[in-house]
Amino acid sequence: MIGDAVERSLRSPQVLISVDELFSNAAGSRMPDVRPDLLTDEVARRVVAACPTSALKIDEDAGRTHLILNYGECTGCGRCIAAGGGTFRYAEKVTRCGVSKQALIRSWDIQGRAEVVQDEPALSQAAEQIRALVGRALNIRQVDAGSCNGCEAEIVALTNPYYDLERFGIHFVASPKHADMLLVTGPVTRNMAAALKNAYDAVPSPKLVVAVGACGCSGGIFGRSHAVVGPVDAVIPVDGYIPGCPPTPRMLLTGIVQVLRPFSLRW
Amino acid sequence: MTAILPNNQAGVSRALDLLSAENTRLVSIFGSTDDNHVRYVHYLIEVDGREYRMLSSPVTGPIPSATPIVPAAAWYERELHDQYGIECEGHPDPRPLLFHENWPENVHPMIDDASHVPWAKGQYHFLRVHGDGVCEVPVGPIHAGIIEPGHFRFSVVGDTVLHLELRHFYTHKGTEKLFENSAVMDGVMIAESVSGDNCFSHAVAYCQAIENVFAIPVPPRAQAIRLVGLELERMLAHIADVGALCGDVGFMVPAAYTARIKETLLQASARFFGTRFWRGISVPGGVTRDLSGAEAGEFGRIVTTAARDFAQMARLILHTSSVQNRFESTGILTAEIAKQLAVVGPAARASGIRLDVRRDHPSGRYRDVQVDVPQYKHGDVLARARIRIDETAISTQLINETLKELPAGSVLVPVPLSGSADALSAVESPRGELLYWVRIRDGKITRCHIKSPSFQNWPALPLAMPGNIIADFPLINKSFNLSYSGCDR
Repeated sequence: MIGDAVERSLRSPQVLISVDELFSNAAGSRMPDVRPDLLTDEVARRVVAACPTSALKIDEDAGRTHLILNYGECTGCGRCIAAGGGTFRYAEKVTRCGVSKQALIRSWDIQGRAEVVQDEPALSQAAEQIRALVGRALNIRQVDAGSCNGCEAEIVALTNPYYDLERFGIHFVASPKHADMLLVTGPVTRNMAAALKNAYDAVPSPKLVVAVGACGCSGGIFGRSHAVVGPVDAVIPVDGYIPGCPPTPRMLLTGIVQVLRPFSLRW
Repeated sequence: MTAILPNNQAGVSRALDLLSAENTRLVSIFGSTDDNHVRYVHYLIEVDGREYRMLSSPVTGPIPSATPIVPAAAWYERELHDQYGIECEGHPDPRPLLFHENWPENVHPMIDDASHVPWAKGQYHFLRVHGDGVCEVPVGPIHAGIIEPGHFRFSVVGDTVLHLELRHFYTHKGTEKLFENSAVMDGVMIAESVSGDNCFSHAVAYCQAIENVFAIPVPPRAQAIRLVGLELERMLAHIADVGALCGDVGFMVPAAYTARIKETLLQASARFFGTRFWRGISVPGGVTRDLSGAEAGEFGRIVTTAARDFAQMARLILHTSSVQNRFESTGILTAEIAKQLAVVGPAARASGIRLDVRRDHPSGRYRDVQVDVPQYKHGDVLARARIRIDETAISTQLINETLKELPAGSVLVPVPLSGSADALSAVESPRGELLYWVRIRDGKITRCHIKSPSFQNWPALPLAMPGNIIADFPLINKSFNLSYSGCDR
């Protein structure tokens, strides 16, 4: 019977998603995007009122009004899309994965009807060391610091035959001592804070930390709870942030690679 | 579902009397406070397998523990003490449950100000097993795979497990407290983040509770789409679990194949519903997405193909002798223990206890459909795997029947944003009986209690371990597949 299974597996068509279709593709992520040409003051105020987290804000500065969208706090509930008429829609591309906390935030000049473009800040200075370390073999230790397991479900999906993370030389390992990168999900709970710190200390230097999901990036909807310490960077230093609730496998892969990009000549 | 509220001190003794009866099952015990800060204890009990009955009582001092009568009450009463400071006299194990050494002893977040709780350094005492050659093996909270955190303390002689003690609540997020003072529409988002892989079951259970509060007539089309989502979530869970069981015995081909089948269903959900896990679909008053006739047909075909592939793979798995060798008679949960601990869901059905909310307490579209409830009696890993395989086929059939006859009409009706009432709602999640009890005052949530099947079933896992070898623990644990976050909340 094992022979049958192997034979069946060999006969079945390949489902691997090509690299071009993987990166930055936002299908199923529920992350919002803005059409700046349609953006008005009235729409901006309506979507900010509709947003149940503080992902959308209005910032008034020196006579200019800006609409601020922080992907790190967005749970993809879709209310801005319902409230924003055609101005808000589900994003087709998400590039804000594996970036700095500041780069999770986009802003639009409402009067000018245009996005305020910001430079992506450098992620780390230890480029030479990490390039030597990572090459095409990146070992990731995933740590759930209090998540709802939605992010875990998507991280597990990265290993299925559609995404096949191993083709990039990226492996999930059992011990932090074998890891180059910690992939941390969840708002850090009081009960997990010490374990997360221990896991971080156990990863040999140089090391990278990626905070995953709205909760990992900002504490998410659990940020104000008495049982929660806060986002991942409240407990350990973080090199890159992947937003989403949960982030799709495509966003996760985009983010993991994006974090490496400044350190590697191969990408 | 009926709720009887005698609201007097006799409530506790009436509840304990009822729990002693043969025809009752403990569903949940939880606390609440009223406007005058008086604490209440609520006992939710199923009678004759068909009716939920709630007995409540104000609490002024210690109350008698129900645990000596019904062992299933043990964790509920420990939680009651942690949240509300209600002492249960005669409880055999009054250690804190939700809070670890870092939490000060006398802070009970549901009644005290918990905004700035200082860090404490307490001690936790595990049960010690003494004797020649007894070793302790601590595992977790961080585990080797991509899974949630929890601690397991094994006492072993050689490879054989004598005793397993669980220590959980590493992912405790104070979720029930977060509901308090939330707007009715915002509660869905919290419910969806109780247990991410069962987010749609939680969303529907929450929404139904709100709809019961306001007596909202949910459109039949919305109820049908909810059924499709609930059954799809069950398929996703069961397909993934059977694959993971194969992974745990080193049979990697079906493990990869089932992961692939699961992914086809997630991608279909993203394509037709814009979300891989059906987040944001269920809201109080209905659902946010509709399907055209053509979309319903295409979605049904994808589900049918996935189910057919899975059924072939399942036949292969069950007929492979090395799999049989590892699954059979491993991790037996006896019917007697399952009954004492009021175990629910696939684990109960694999141990000969035929419980299913869809049949026993149907709501929404389930009132109009016949649900087959499979049952096995051996209570081993194989029985739990078989339950999942059988239920996947049943869910496929339910989805297809529903998609073929989607009722006409809208999928969403408006919800009044003011009003006051209490209500209960039950859903059969992939892991078993899931209940939401909500109290609404002037359009705001003032209390939301979640009875999670994982909270109910975790205490049964250690009782399926003694006599098994420690190397079989991942397999046995996976066969229960309980949610840590769903339990810890």
